[in-house]
Amino acid sequence: MDITSLFTQFLSGLTYGTILFLVAAGLSLIFGVMNILNFAHAALWLMGAYFSYTFWNLMQSYSFAFWLSIPLAGFAAAAVGWVLEMVLIKRIYKRELYEQLLITYSVALILSDTIKLTWGVTNKLIVRPEMIRKPVFIFGAPLDSYFIFVILAGAAVAIGLWWFLKYTRYGHIVKAAVFSREMVSALGIPIPRIYTWVFTLGIFLAGFAGGIQAPIGSITLGMDTAIIIQAFCVVVIGGFGSLLGTLVGSLIVGEVMSFTILFWPEGAMVLIFVITAAILIVRPWGLFGTPMRT
Amino acid sequence: MNDTDATILEISGLSKSFGKYTVLTDVNYSLRKGEIAAIIGPNGAGKTTFFNLITGYHHVDGGTIRFEGREITDWPRHRIARAGISRAFQVSNIYPRLTTYENVRQAILAQEKRTLDIFTPANGLARQSTLELLELTGLLPNRDTVAGILSQGDKKKLELALALAGKPELLLLDEPTAGMSSEETHETMDLVKRLNAQIGLTILFTEHDISVIFGYARKLSVLYQGVLIAEGTPEEVRKSEEAQRCYLGEEV
Amino acid sequence: MKNKTLFAVILILLAVVLPFIVPVFWVHVLTEILIMGLFAASFNMIFGYMGQLTFGHAAYYGVGAYTTGLLMVKANVPLLVCLPLSMLSAGLCAALLGYFCVKLRGIYFAILTMAFGQLVYYIIFQWYSFTGGDNGLQGIVPPEFLGKAANPYYFFTLTVVTIGMIALWIISESPFGYTMRAIRDNAERTEFIGINVQRYMLLNFIIAAMFAGLAGALWGPFNRSVAPDLTNWQHSGMPVFMTVMGGPFSFLGPLVGSAIYTFLMALVTSFTEYWPLVSGVIIILVVLLMPGGFLGLLDEKFPFLMRKGNGTGKTDGQGRQER
Repeated sequence: MDITSLFTQFLSGLTYGTILFLVAAGLSLIFGVMNILNFAHAALWLMGAYFSYTFWNLMQSYSFAFWLSIPLAGFAAAAVGWVLEMVLIKRIYKRELYEQLLITYSVALILSDTIKLTWGVTNKLIVRPEMIRKPVFIFGAPLDSYFIFVILAGAAVAIGLWWFLKYTRYGHIVKAAVFSREMVSALGIPIPRIYTWVFTLGIFLAGFAGGIQAPIGSITLGMDTAIIIQAFCVVVIGGFGSLLGTLVGSLIVGEVMSFTILFWPEGAMVLIFVITAAILIVRPWGLFGTPMRT
Repeated sequence: MNDTDATILEISGLSKSFGKYTVLTDVNYSLRKGEIAAIIGPNGAGKTTFFNLITGYHHVDGGTIRFEGREITDWPRHRIARAGISRAFQVSNIYPRLTTYENVRQAILAQEKRTLDIFTPANGLARQSTLELLELTGLLPNRDTVAGILSQGDKKKLELALALAGKPELLLLDEPTAGMSSEETHETMDLVKRLNAQIGLTILFTEHDISVIFGYARKLSVLYQGVLIAEGTPEEVRKSEEAQRCYLGEEV
Repeated sequence: MKNKTLFAVILILLAVVLPFIVPVFWVHVLTEILIMGLFAASFNMIFGYMGQLTFGHAAYYGVGAYTTGLLMVKANVPLLVCLPLSMLSAGLCAALLGYFCVKLRGIYFAILTMAFGQLVYYIIFQWYSFTGGDNGLQGIVPPEFLGKAANPYYFFTLTVVTIGMIALWIISESPFGYTMRAIRDNAERTEFIGINVQRYMLLNFIIAAMFAGLAGALWGPFNRSVAPDLTNWQHSGMPVFMTVMGGPFSFLGPLVGSAIYTFLMALVTSFTEYWPLVSGVIIILVVLLMPGGFLGLLDEKFPFLMRKGNGTGKTDGQGRQER
């Protein structure tokens, strides 16, 4: 194995990890603040991918269509998420764990079929603009030029979220809520409204991630069931409610997948689950999570 | 054969901290078999933590606990319970969704080591002993009530019943009469005193009610900010300067 | 007690009579209801009785299914011998994985069981040489003495499932079963009455897995094949659905839920491919509006039907006691 191939694998893992990060960030945020494990998260991610396809399709004649469709996908998904939160999620704040899981799982089922009904079963392909059709060479290793954008976008989102949590008032409220809902509520800040915005933000991230995913390969049904579990693994490994944890977790999963596929392709997913299980056994709250969460 | 002078509980150098907050510092305590002893102290003095350490609810930071000659300092909770130490909790720690009857029966079945039985219907088992214990603790009229809706006093009685079901040698009672009427208080403490006389059950309890202390305890220790500051018979303690200064002075 | 026994007797009578009056398709559906019902009832040992949500129970179902499938296809082992062997293999698997799971509670328990479930899935999926991987195992046929028609295998399944359910009932009403209820109600207190809670949870986990394995074992010859999908997390969600639909805190709830779910699925898939959509809506409605499931609803509307003789103190989702 020479340096170039290793580096290629590394970049590939980095890209995949970035996508996982974008998907898992919202999931971790929602669980950290609202204590709800959103099984429907990947379905909304997939919906975002389909949304971006539709937007791109509509605006094809414009050169910026490709790029604009990505954030638009985020907003479209966020709108769906907002409605979902107001209509359904609000009712299950105080419910038992199994009720919350069943509800979000059912939403995933409903959304999957809704996607099927709306966009049909054929794969969707987005045509890339000229400038990102050829690979780029970094230290001799080829990298799909679009992946550069993906990694940059992921970094931007990570920095944006970090800045939001550290320097804005709303970010402080969110961080405090991860730590203790009771305290935040006692400070007179309406919890339900925070929940709605956190959920919507989380879904925006999912939809945005879907938009990012869309030009990679094609968009197919069923992509969501594969990624939801990996996103769970990321959040478990990194720690619920921790931005840094999600980042680290997604990079770990991305790179482990990428390198394991080299010499033990069948074992890649197995290894991921072994790591996830090990973290749960040894340190259930993840690498960067807070132990107080039960 | 006289073993009433045997030491049943021997604690030396017991310390416990939670983070930066030190709850108990170098506590030495011993209890003779058949004794009825009490520990008092203001809230936060460390009484409940003391019980928690003995029963294995928390790990000790330092010191040793010996029960009937054996060192139980790091034993798991269930093993300590099986060894003969039972505890009634300050905040009732019963089975809220089971009936009073089922609560007591569960504890009895556990004591009788019948809980691994997967073949026999539980409903016919331990009927006699469950009813006896219910009657002893005054819970017979409430036996079919779901325990979660019992009155505060009845919950305390159930706490006691659950603790007694374990056929303990040492019974730890954490504020056993809190929330009880004066009549219930006397009923409960008379029962405890009777058991002590009849079967030699060693009792250690914490209390805020001074009349209960003076009415039933033969040995009294004062815990203040994690340190044992006085020990002796209730009269001796009442007269001791330290106790008066730190605690009893406010009460009496 | 009396009314419950009556209910069970009615169910058995129905189960015996129906295959003779409904078309073959529905006999297949009935067989599936029974198998999934046993699967769900075994899940309820962990969920309803012990109070923990396991989202990876399908792993043991799948292990049982594959054990029987492999033994029958590769070694011609008779089905009757395969059944207990499937229980054994599922139990061993649960002993290994459950050892770690019972150190956790609540959502961590749920996620770890799910992670282990996926682990089993990927192992089966990737181990092409042994399990046939993605293709699964084909050619699992019911034994000679049952022939090829639907009814004989149905009655065989009915017999095995009935025995299994009776066994689970006996266990749930035994001191061990009541200890599970105690652990669910107040695990901490249970430690203090001298019970090693983790060990007991593991034992229950293993028992539940064994009966899931039994259900899985019945599935292979019924479906003529087994596939890795039997162990994935979506399949683990099945018993959760069914138990919640039927009534999460009663013994027959899972079976009733299986009947409702499987029946609806058979019905709906005959005229639309959007069963996930329909089932999703149904589950949401059940969870939001019928917290006690179908049996809970019956209990509310027709109390005389469901009265039990002893007060078990079980409450439905709204905290009402069942007396």
